[in-house]
Parts: sequence; C-alpha cells; structure tokens
Amino acid sequence: MSTTPETLPPLARRSDAAYLDFVEGLREFILGKGADFEERLNSALEQTSASRGRPWGDVEEIREFVHSLPIGRLRDRLARSQQEMKWHAIERSFDEQRTQLTAELAKWDERGPGRLLLDPTFEHPAYTNVHFHLQPGGYYKDELSGFLYHYGTKVFFRGDNDKDELHAKLVGTVPAPTDGKVHRILDLACSIGQSSTAFRRRYPEAEVWGIDHSAPMLRVAHRRAAMQGDAVNFAQRLVEKTGFPDAHFDITFAFILFHELPLRIIHDTVREAARVTRRGGIFAIYDFTGTEGKSPYQRYHRWFDARHNGEPYSQDFCDCRLGDILTANGFEVAAAPLAKRAGGTGYMQHWFATRV
Amino acid sequence: MSDRVQTPEGGTPIVGDDPVYLNDPIQDATVRMLLELAAQVWVERERRLTLEALLEKKGIVAHDEIERHTPDTVLAARLKDERARFLEDVFKELRRVPLNQ
Ligand SMILES: C[S@@+](CC[C@H](N)C(=O)[O-])C[C@H]1O[C@@H](n2cnc3c(N)ncnc32)[C@H](O)[C@@H]1O
Repeated sequence: MSTTPETLPPLARRSDAAYLDFVEGLREFILGKGADFEERLNSALEQTSASRGRPWGDVEEIREFVHSLPIGRLRDRLARSQQEMKWHAIERSFDEQRTQLTAELAKWDERGPGRLLLDPTFEHPAYTNVHFHLQPGGYYKDELSGFLYHYGTKVFFRGDNDKDELHAKLVGTVPAPTDGKVHRILDLACSIGQSSTAFRRRYPEAEVWGIDHSAPMLRVAHRRAAMQGDAVNFAQRLVEKTGFPDAHFDITFAFILFHELPLRIIHDTVREAARVTRRGGIFAIYDFTGTEGKSPYQRYHRWFDARHNGEPYSQDFCDCRLGDILTANGFEVAAAPLAKRAGGTGYMQHWFATRV
Repeated sequence: MSDRVQTPEGGTPIVGDDPVYLNDPIQDATVRMLLELAAQVWVERERRLTLEALLEKKGIVAHDEIERHTPDTVLAARLKDERARFLEDVFKELRRVPLNQ
C-alpha cells in the first residue's frame, strides 16, 4: 500500500494545530526530563523513607507527603492543565465543523468494505459513564467522540502513532496459535479500530470483529477502515457479553481496556474471553503494569491518574493480579515484559494467554 | 479541595471539575493563565514564521512593509474578533475561580 488516506479530519484552523503542537511539547516537558519532576520527587520520597527507616505504606501516606511539597502540587496543577488544554482545543475545533463531520460519518455508515452493526436499543451500563482521561462527554455521549478520541490519542502518543505504527507493532507481536490456524479474530473494546485493521492486514484471510459499547467510536472505526479498504466488521457489544458463539475465535485481543473496567467486569470479561476463544487459541492483552515493585513516585502517579485524570478503575486493576484471573478462567499465561514501549517507558505490559 | 465525588462503580473517587492544587484558587488560575498565554505565544510565533517564510519565498512583502501597515476596516474588525478569542482562551480561567473555597 503506497498511500494510506488520512482518516483523521483536519482541525478547523492552523492555530488549533499549533496550539495542540504546543500542548504535545508541554506534556513531554512536564512528564519527562524537561521539568524533571519524577526523578526529583522520587528521590525526595526515597530519602524520606530512608531517614525514617521504613518504606512507604499506603498510597495515602505518599500522597500526603507529595502534597506537602509545593513542587508536588505544582506538578499536579500542570499535569491536569495540559490534559484540559488538549481537550479544550480539540473539542472546539471539531465543534466548529460539527455539521460537516456529522455528515461525513453518515456518508460512510452504509459503505463497505466491512459492516457496521449498531444496536439502537443499546443501554450503556452505569460504570461506563466516566469521562476517561477527561475527554469531554466521555466515550459515547458526543456523536463526535470518536474523532475527539482519535486526535486526543494522537497528541498522547506524541507523534509516535500518527500512522498507527504503535498498533501495527503491538498486533505484530501477538503470537499465533501453535497450530497456526487463524480464521477469526476478536478485538475487544476496539475504539476507533486501529488494532482491528492491523489484524486484518496481518491476516488478510481472517474474519475480524471489533466490538465496543460506544456507537460514536464504532462509526469512526468503520469509516476509517472502509476508507483504507480494510474489511473489518464493527459491532456495538459489551466486552463482558459479546454475543458470539462458544470457541468462535482463534485470537482475542484487548489493548488498554482492562484498566478502564471495574474489577467485577474484569472478571466477567476474562470469563467471556475464555468462552469465545477456542482451545489452543490466544488471548492477548496489553495494559498498564501492576503496582508491585513500583517506585513510590510511580505509585503516586497511579493514584493521581485515577483520581485526577478520570481513570477511577485503574488503581484496582493495577493492584489485581490479572495473570491469576486468567489462569483461574482456563488460560495458560506466558508473558515477558516488552523492552521498549511508545508513550513513555515502563507503563505497559502484556499477557499472552493460551486457552487450555 | 473542591472535590465532587464521581465514580459510577467503586474504584477511586474522581475529583470534581476544577480541582485546586495550589495554596488558593487564584494561584491555580494564575498558572492556568500562564500556560494558556504560553500556548498563544507559540501559536502566534508559528504562524508568523510560516507567513514570513511564504512572503519571503514569493518575494511579496518586505519586513519593513509589515511594520508600517495600517489595517483597513475589514481587517480591523477581524483583529477585534481574534482579540476576543485570544482573551477568552487565556482569561476564561477567571470564571473558574470559585466564589468561596
Ligand atoms: C482506551 S480505549 C481502547 C483502545 C483500543 N483497544 C485500541 O486498540 O486502540 C477503551 C475503549 O473501551 C470501550 N469500553 C469500555 N468498557 C467497555 C465494555 N464494557 N464493553 C465494550 N467496550 C467498552 C470504550 O468505549 C473505549 O472505546
């Protein structure tokens, strides 16, 4: 494929793009070496625990200490602001083009390749009503949510995923079942379908399904795939209740889904994945690393992300042992940490599980 | 903190809309305005550099001409609109300072 069509709609103005370019740089400066908050705060934490002669206890104790330092509170202010600034600019820019963008989505709904299956009677479970990472309207309440999300994650990945390189890489790393048979693939919580299309390109003969509860996400996923000529089916379903037959899929996939589910639904989803993945099939998961073995600052950051960046379920996810939950539901887990990940080192890990 | 708890199902309670991180809300607003201002400065610089490069490339305008230019009524009105947008971007933060904390 020589040229892939641009599926992310342009912003309304050049100045919007420049503003977001600034935010991308600001984000990197604040979270990275520029402001150097992480290393400075972490060494303050470590020195304090050393001089007290005991390790840090619960995250509340860490939080109290960080908030006692002006620099800790300033870091929080800046981290919150860069996220708010990002959404402010994206929302306004797409809002100005609302009529055209809505028409653009409608134009693609019925076109192929691939089908879009929306459920007009769909009811969103209460736990999904969260504005994750402060996205205005959350994942499903604005018909332009999918476009907002696409631009938001573009800024989040700091240019490393402009051509979906990250998705292609992660999908490329998923091991095939040992018998080599890959006829059907399920992408759980596919959002705008970047992993789904990567699977279809990796396995052009396979039937690929992307499911999500958000219709606006799925419409953007469908438009994007159809524009690129990728035949993927997108359906409005819950990950914990997919509606597919038993043992239907050779590969089931979930990229950064689990940290956005309450613990109860994590269990339900793993059980559902075990039901729809055939014996010998693979359930591949990429998500946040666990709390175990984390530096005090990293533990603080997890709390901050949960409370101040709209990730209420992430703390429980990071504290749970997903490997054990997989094993208890009929999977055999083999996973090693990835050497290097985009979007910041050390925040993501994978679980490659085989259905036994 | 102006925390409004919002968590549909368990987990970590999410902070409310305009959390106060610094010693008082005015400090928070000041930092927010500073960031907005820095963003605006960059937006302007990016545009000016682009424009100057284009003008120069096409041999259309000398720098001196920009310095001496007086806007006509259409441009003057547009500049007023842009200024309102600029002020809104930076100083909308003032609306977020709570009446009492
Ligand atoms: C961070 S995004 C996932 C990114 C995506 N997997 C990718 O490859 O880029 C989280 C997605 O999960 C979806 N989601 C959350 N809970 C869900 C559920 N119970 N059932 C279906 N989708 C869900 C949201 O609508 C959102 O699109």
